[in-house]
Amino acid sequence: MGSWVGMRVTGESVHAEREGLDAARAEDEGAGALPRYWPLLLVGAAVVPGTLLFLVGRWGDAPAVEAWRTVCLAVTVQALPFLLLGTALSGAINAFVPERVFRRMLPRRPLLAVPVAGVAGVVLPGCECASVPVANSLIGRGVTPAAAFAFLLSAPAINPVVLTATAIAFPGNPAMVLARLLASLATAVAMGWLWLRFGRSEWLRPAVRHTGHQAGHSRWDEFRAGFQHDFLHAGGFLVLGAMAAATFNVGVPRSVLATFTGTPWPAVLFLAALAVLLAVCSEADAFLAASLTGFPPVARLAFMVVGPMVDLKLIALQAGTFGRAFAVRFSAATFVVAVACSALIGGALL
Amino acid sequence: MKRTLQSGLLVLCGLGLLRISLVTDLCLRYVKESMRPLLIASGCVLVLLGVVSAILDRRGRRREHDTHGHDHSHVPRVAWLLLLPALSLLCYAPPALGAYTASRQPPRPMVQQSEFAPLAAISPLPMTLSDFTSRVQQDRARAIKGRTVLMTGIVTPHGKGGWDLTRIIINCCAADAQSVKVRVYGGPVPPANTWVTVTGVWHPAGTLGTSSAAVALDARTVKKVPRPVNGYQDALPLPTARTS
Repeated sequence: MGSWVGMRVTGESVHAEREGLDAARAEDEGAGALPRYWPLLLVGAAVVPGTLLFLVGRWGDAPAVEAWRTVCLAVTVQALPFLLLGTALSGAINAFVPERVFRRMLPRRPLLAVPVAGVAGVVLPGCECASVPVANSLIGRGVTPAAAFAFLLSAPAINPVVLTATAIAFPGNPAMVLARLLASLATAVAMGWLWLRFGRSEWLRPAVRHTGHQAGHSRWDEFRAGFQHDFLHAGGFLVLGAMAAATFNVGVPRSVLATFTGTPWPAVLFLAALAVLLAVCSEADAFLAASLTGFPPVARLAFMVVGPMVDLKLIALQAGTFGRAFAVRFSAATFVVAVACSALIGGALL
Repeated sequence: MKRTLQSGLLVLCGLGLLRISLVTDLCLRYVKESMRPLLIASGCVLVLLGVVSAILDRRGRRREHDTHGHDHSHVPRVAWLLLLPALSLLCYAPPALGAYTASRQPPRPMVQQSEFAPLAAISPLPMTLSDFTSRVQQDRARAIKGRTVLMTGIVTPHGKGGWDLTRIIINCCAADAQSVKVRVYGGPVPPANTWVTVTGVWHPAGTLGTSSAAVALDARTVKKVPRPVNGYQDALPLPTARTS
């Protein structure tokens, strides 16, 4: 091929080049015509996937990579049923529940609506993944965002399933359950009020999809379309978050924990950060917290309060649903508020 | 993302979930047993949703041929990431956590126990690894002394040419795995991740009944056993392993 170009260039270089360009353009435009190097493409098509498969196979069987794949898949598989529940609920709220229902249920003043929505979090059992799409559809149905965010934060932390798990994990220590309930609720309500005071709607991606029921469309069709859209959308972000969580889960050996057990303040911050990175589901984090015996109880409380509100998988889900500008600010603020609330309430109760 | 592709993706995810929960026991490598009904239900819902969507979309396209572009159909490209777990579940399921994870974790702390029931008068005595650990480190009566016990777990080699009998325990999913370990002395090191049943007596090191006692065993026999269906629990050895 080189000699062929060379021959042409030695002849009438300018003309030949233009001719070559024209020919190339013609090839690009002619959709059906094969490029001149098509045998190369064919060889590539035959060789590249095989090589890739071989490399992935060789590399994919290393113990660390296998552990990573297992943890990543475990987080995804564990969260999928709850995500499905959340997106189905969100689709149903969007298609079947008229706006006036929420207007009647929640106090008209946003300042009061926030705590009511926070307490209402009790009704949604399950993991944190379910609450993100539900909060999004609530905003779409006219609920003030501050109240929806209080619900988003409190639902995974204070529902009966999680509180029961906490009581089982800390037998004979009801103060821990109470502290978790109060600290989570306080964080959720504080974040709602903070949003009322400082939040700006332009941080939120405009909710395109949740327009509610429209005349002339079938409600079931709307439900199905919303359900499908939300699930695929949130599912993609869930996988992204699971990958990040698995990376830290496998990459950070648990023996690092021993270095921070001594002094209370670094321990609180360290366990709170660990909760963000590990992304353990809110039903199981109490058991993990119970096993961190070297840490003071306040630090373990912080682990359980931060975990269901801020973690890698949730940040990914929120970024997908509400936009990146929102997710970054909201998660950072929630982290600070949650650590402060668990330090205050934990200090008083534990 | 085209609507037919969306339906296809939903069906693939559903089939993946159904394969690991309904057709095989693979889901036990990733989540706890009680999640299984939820996984089956989710798989069915996803397959149903995908199929219904495909049918309705085809019918809908024929009816309202080019009236308006549906804004619902726009799903961002990130949804393609769902293809990875779906395909992984369908054809390239990773194995359960094992020696690699256990070797990088400190052993899970035991619940403080003051009352211990008397040990059954059989030899060898089948025990769980957690039970053995608490007996060795907490039982003031030292009932375990001189007893031949029988335990099943996986092999986790450690750097100094020895190995630990290990069980990995999960509360919810494999992301919260914790491990229980008993060091084994005597005999060659079996290959990592093998399931074995070990009989032996407590390896005397430290004071029995206090936390200074080593959680270790002088092995008499080490026998390969098949992997139990649910590997993520600290269960008693299978009856087949006991009789031999």
